[in-house]
Order: sequence, then C-alpha cells, then structure tokens
Amino acid sequence: MWPVIPIIDAANEHFRTHQHLREKPMNEILESLQRCVERGKVNIKSPYPPDMKGQDGADELAKKAIEMGVAPQDILSKALIVGMQNVGVRFRNKEIFVPDVLMAAKAMAAAMEHLKPFFKSDELKHKGTIVIGTVLGDLHDIGKKLVSMVIQGSGWEVIDLGTDVSPDKFLKAVDEHPGCVVGLSALLTTTMVNMETTVQHIKSKHPGIKVIIGGAPVTGEFAAKIGADHYSPDPQGAVEYLNTRCTPN
Amino acid sequence: MLESSIPETVSFSPSFHELAIDRTIVERDLGYRKVPAPEIVRQVIDEILPEVPLRLTIQCGFRILPLELVSLTNEGILCGDVQISTGPIIANQLKKSKTVALFVSTAGPLLEQWSQQLMAEGDMLKGFLVDAVGSEVADRTSEWLEKRIAEHVAPHGWAMTNRYSPGYCDWPVTDQQKLFSFLPPRFCGISLTPSSLMIPIKSLSGIIGLGPDVLRGAYQCSICDLKDCFRRMDESELATEQR
Repeated sequence: MWPVIPIIDAANEHFRTHQHLREKPMNEILESLQRCVERGKVNIKSPYPPDMKGQDGADELAKKAIEMGVAPQDILSKALIVGMQNVGVRFRNKEIFVPDVLMAAKAMAAAMEHLKPFFKSDELKHKGTIVIGTVLGDLHDIGKKLVSMVIQGSGWEVIDLGTDVSPDKFLKAVDEHPGCVVGLSALLTTTMVNMETTVQHIKSKHPGIKVIIGGAPVTGEFAAKIGADHYSPDPQGAVEYLNTRCTPN
Repeated sequence: MLESSIPETVSFSPSFHELAIDRTIVERDLGYRKVPAPEIVRQVIDEILPEVPLRLTIQCGFRILPLELVSLTNEGILCGDVQISTGPIIANQLKKSKTVALFVSTAGPLLEQWSQQLMAEGDMLKGFLVDAVGSEVADRTSEWLEKRIAEHVAPHGWAMTNRYSPGYCDWPVTDQQKLFSFLPPRFCGISLTPSSLMIPIKSLSGIIGLGPDVLRGAYQCSICDLKDCFRRMDESELATEQR
C-alpha cells in the first residue's frame, strides 16, 4: 500500500515552502515601498533621505512589485495607503511637519504613476471621490493642497477645483461626480461665511451629499451651525471621516 | 509733545539683509523646533534664500492716529465715529494706550508668484518653502517696523504694546476695511479684496498701542482662542522662541 498520508504531507510542505518563497519577497517589497512613502524616498536618484541614498525609491519598487506579480490592490492598500496613513498620524501628532508630508506625497505620487493603468482598466478602484476647493473670496491654496494630497494618498480620487471657488462651481462638480463628498477650505473669518452659502447651495439640490470643512478659523461648532457634516483640524481627521463615514461610489 | 510731531504716514523699504532672515529662522517657523529639519529642507532653503532679494519689493509703513481721534472702549477703539471692534482680548492689552499706530508691511507679489509657479511645475516642496520664506519676510518686516515706531515715540517718553492683527484674538477680519480707511489708498502697495484679504497675500496689517504707561509683553498664544492655529506654540516652545 502506498503511504498516502506522508505524500500529502510532503506536498503540503512543498507548497508551503514555495508559498513562503513567493510571499517573502512580496511582503518585503511592500514593506520597503511603505517605508519609501513614509520617508519621502521618491526614486533611486533622489539623495533624500541620506541613509537611503542609492537605494530604490517608491518609483522603482512599485514597478518591481507589479513585475513580481503583486496584486495592484495590495500595492495600494498594504504599502502606499498604510505609509501615507502613518505620515498623516505623525503630522497630526506634530512629529513631522508640512515639508515631510510633501515629500511623502511626492513618493506616493511616483508609485501611483505605475498604478494608473489599473485604475483605467477598473482593476483598481478609488474608495470614492472628493471634490475639494477653497471657497469664494479666499485665495489660500497650500492648506487645501496638503489635505488633498493626504486624502489622495488614502485611496480617494480628488477633484481639486482650486481657490476662490463659487457655490455654482462646486455644484457643477457635484453634478459631474455623483455620490462624491465635498471638502471646503477657508483661511479667513470673512470667507468662512461663504462656506455656509456653499453648503446650502449644494444641499438644496443634493441633500445626501456629505460636506466636510476645514481651515484655520473653522471649528466644529461652526460646522454644525452651517449644516456641514464634519470639521477636521488636520488632514488625517478628514481621511478618517471619509474612510469610516462616507459611502464609496 | 508727541501730538505736535505726529506725521500723516511714514513708510520705509527695508532691504532683505536688514530683516536678518536665515535658514534656522525659516526652519523654526516651519515647526522644526524640537527636531531638526530634514537635510533636503535645509538644502532647498539654502537654494532659495540667495534668490529671495531679487524677488522682493518690501514696503512697510505706519500712521499714528491723532490723540483726539482715539478713545478706547472695552470692545476696541473708537476712532472718530468709526468703531474698530478688536474684541475684549485685544482691548484689554491696549487699555493704557493714549493712541494707536496703524501699520502695514508686505513682501510684495513676486515671491508669491514664484511659489505658485513652482507648485504648478510640480515642485511642491520648493514652492511651499518659498511661500514660507514670504510669510517670514512679511512678519520680520513688521518686526523691523515696530522698532522704527519705537524709535519714533521713545524721545517723548512713550512705549508701545505688542502688535495685533485683524483675524486674531476674536478681532474680525472685516475690520481690515476700517483699518485701511485711515490709511492712504494702496498704502505701501497693499489693497484689500471685498473679503478683506490683502493683496499681495504676503502682507500684514494691524495696530499697536502707544502711551507712556503701556507695556510690551512676551509673545503669547494663551490669550488667543484659535486652538487649532498651526502657529500655536506650547509653553516650552514659546520659552525657546523667546530665548
């Protein structure tokens, strides 16, 4: 009689060994990619950070991961999003500052270039879409851009309408992106009032659309007063709200 | 008497060199007070700073309001028939003032344009750092101007309070319109949008209390209720800042 059990055991062992061999470099490359995002290592040529000089950056590692057969979804969710989330949390805790976030976002963007074809072919899907802009009368751009980058890094599609955006322009963008979330930014107490007009304008036509607001003079009480759904003092708070409270498209 | 020597307005164009801005100052303003800035941030700031003087049109100026025009209230300052509503926090800091100096300062529009151009080209880091240098220039120009105002009033035995700006400590930004109504049109090249945003953006405006009994205190965040302000410093950071 053939020793069936030992043969199956041997086959299982063989499979486990090979799976291990396949998974180890996959996990390693995802961890390295995550580290590149967190440290802002864009590509092999970038001299920053000095301790990673000459090493592959997010650009090369994302390309290699795809070539190795790592699922694009895993590249996005297990490396890039995790890396950017850690950056957002450290920024909130004042362990790192705006320049660090910008460098992380640049590394993230370099990796995302390799994932674009998968988004086009629908193999990869964004968690949802957020239409974002600085409200009418306000020309401040940088805070809004920073929030956009962190949100984008968390797997959301961002439609950035720029600054001095009228309520009509927001409404038009909402019409064009059904089911989106809207993000409003203002840096002046004078332009905060235009947040209220914009919220009312959007909700009068799309009562189900969620609107989140932020900016130096904005508070949670103000958000509640004008009928906005959420206020966040930092980009990561916006990401957490989007991921937990907003239904993806 | 100060009154007899009050000029309508005084303006200056200090050089970038006079503002004494260096990399460490910019780094600190970016938040790197307890941890060092990354090497690349230092490199890019070093790359930016030599180019900054070529892209600056620094202007600043002040007007000391005539004593008979000014009366202080618990809510702010009554200037003739115009109520400037600074709110009680600032009014309390100004309460011993005999009059106020209205001031403006600007880095001009070119740094802002450079920053926007860099960002549009995809260099977010350098664009952001140029923007940060622009903010520092506007801020330091106001500091430089404070010293000129102090020199102006000191011979009369007068001192000055800290400077206060609309938008902080409950003083509505809309009061920019009132403040600018006491200054010549486009004073120092600055204009206001209907939403009270100053153009060029890298500009500051505000008031300083003047009088024989006023005191200038240490910079403090505790009097302001903007809890999420990105420039807010805790006590240890303020102590470092003031050393």
